[in-house]
Amino acid sequence: MQTNNQNPQQDVRAESLRPDVVRTEKATAVDYKMVTFSLAGKDYGVDIMNVKEIAKASKFTYVPNAAPFLRGVYNLRGEIIPVIDFRIFFHLPAERKGEDSLENLLILRLEDQVYGVIVDSIDKVVGILSNTIQPPHPIFGDINIKYIHGVVENQGRLYIILDVNRIFEQKEEGKSHIISKTVGGSFFAAQTAQLEKEASVSTSQTAGSELDFIKETLFALKHFVTTPLNDAWISQRFEEWRVLRNNKDLQLKNIEDAEEFLSTFYSPFNGRLWDETYGEQVLALLPDLSSKTINVWNPGCGKGYETYSLACILKQRYHDARIKIWASDNDLLAVSSAPNMVFELDTVPSVYHKYLVKGRYGYSFNQEIKDAIFFEYHDIKHVNPFDELDIIMARDVLSFQDADEQAKILNDFMEKLKARGLVLVGRHEQLPDDEWTRLGSDPVSLYMYNR
Amino acid sequence: MRVEYINPFVESAFNILKEVLNADVKRGELYLKSTTMPVLGVAALVGLAGDVEGRVLFDMSKQTALAVASTMNGEQLTTMDELVKATVTELANMITAQAVTKLHDLGFRFDLTPPALFTGENMEVSDHEVEALIVPMETPQGKIEINVAIRERA
Repeated sequence: MQTNNQNPQQDVRAESLRPDVVRTEKATAVDYKMVTFSLAGKDYGVDIMNVKEIAKASKFTYVPNAAPFLRGVYNLRGEIIPVIDFRIFFHLPAERKGEDSLENLLILRLEDQVYGVIVDSIDKVVGILSNTIQPPHPIFGDINIKYIHGVVENQGRLYIILDVNRIFEQKEEGKSHIISKTVGGSFFAAQTAQLEKEASVSTSQTAGSELDFIKETLFALKHFVTTPLNDAWISQRFEEWRVLRNNKDLQLKNIEDAEEFLSTFYSPFNGRLWDETYGEQVLALLPDLSSKTINVWNPGCGKGYETYSLACILKQRYHDARIKIWASDNDLLAVSSAPNMVFELDTVPSVYHKYLVKGRYGYSFNQEIKDAIFFEYHDIKHVNPFDELDIIMARDVLSFQDADEQAKILNDFMEKLKARGLVLVGRHEQLPDDEWTRLGSDPVSLYMYNR
Repeated sequence: MRVEYINPFVESAFNILKEVLNADVKRGELYLKSTTMPVLGVAALVGLAGDVEGRVLFDMSKQTALAVASTMNGEQLTTMDELVKATVTELANMITAQAVTKLHDLGFRFDLTPPALFTGENMEVSDHEVEALIVPMETPQGKIEINVAIRERA
């Protein structure tokens, strides 16, 4: 699965809830969500819109002459980010762990800058009503009042909501020169305007703001991005979810909830060898192709199981043609193991047995299949070098890219495909009607490019 | 970049550096880059042709280059003279050649061009339509970044 960077987003709330949403229980009608964590035994929160992800990390690279709260820099999948220790920043007692022990890291995104923040522990996602947030009282001692957005009570616990924008703004001006200047207010305003627009569009739909917050949480926790590509699924899943949860506790509080919500999204045999039935369904839909060489691109191939499945099906369908599959992923560990995959015979669906050969360590695919696939360490967000493709397989890949990346990648697909080229996307992903014709019916989302 | 190509470069860089510097060498985490990147100050470039097209760039600061050359020659070198340049160039050649030999054993045919050395301040490198694999190597003499940008021939 491709990982990604996300867009800067700011907290924009639909202030007025529509009547049909208000009718739901007051406690569940949240319009502000925060990620909570603790510092020196007290509870704090930051707006979920500022949180890119959470991580555990250690061995930060020390930066000489930096302010003491700057623990160093960290390489987050190729992006170098500054890491700030909030406990030192706020002069709170910090347990200094050993060099190798992992620290809890909140990865924040503010405008176009990414920061890592060390906290004692990360708790959960809490949804609240924004009008229950009370302004900070001047006698708060531990943390300078200007960094506090407000205080809120939730289930007997008092959370101090930090204004991270203020914190990092301050750092730029005064304390540290390490963080480069961010772009000015015009960018921020443009983002806000766009988000307001999006928010108003989606609230006008039946799902309402409950669904909007589910979408935001899915984005923050799983980097699942809702666009027209998967909107139909998420609305339908939300209805199911209501029934499943008896219309209570609809919000996703932690990563387990998010995974449960997404569990029905994934295509059949995601990350596994396809079974005979699904394979037959795909096979039946493949049209005749006249070319002697069939070029295929499979971005987000992961460990390569699905790539092998596709290779076998293509061999069967186009036995006279030369099959060439470029399978790429940006997870180096996963994709490195793909070329040398070995199996126990009984774990492989019998339909593949004729393509297997016995080696020293177990069964693997025969040379003919292996020669058809080139596994590459490649990031779909970079320049994609492929050309004149007949088929692209990207199941459940696009939904985990930012909205603008999705558009860019889809454009790339159109550019790289031959006329009437095919794209296999995830079961619950839809491509726009005007450019694509759907060939398959559920569960096979096969599309043909109208050109 | 094909995953089969990655290990030969990582292994040969590790082996050769360890051997010629006679010291502990640590490999950093690999990653991909597709944007223009700054060059640290001294860059040795070896071109590749054959099954693929592209190049390997060995990038280090001037201090690191001097320290590496001093260790390899067994004497203290303090200026970027011909000897230092020749040593760094040779190092690049050794690592690339060993990687190409390993690749040859795996059945891939690569040829290499004679290395070229670039030195200067504020240099940048960009590759048209190829993403680069970065292999950072930590040595006692300093950091050496091996930047491999190759693609299959169309």
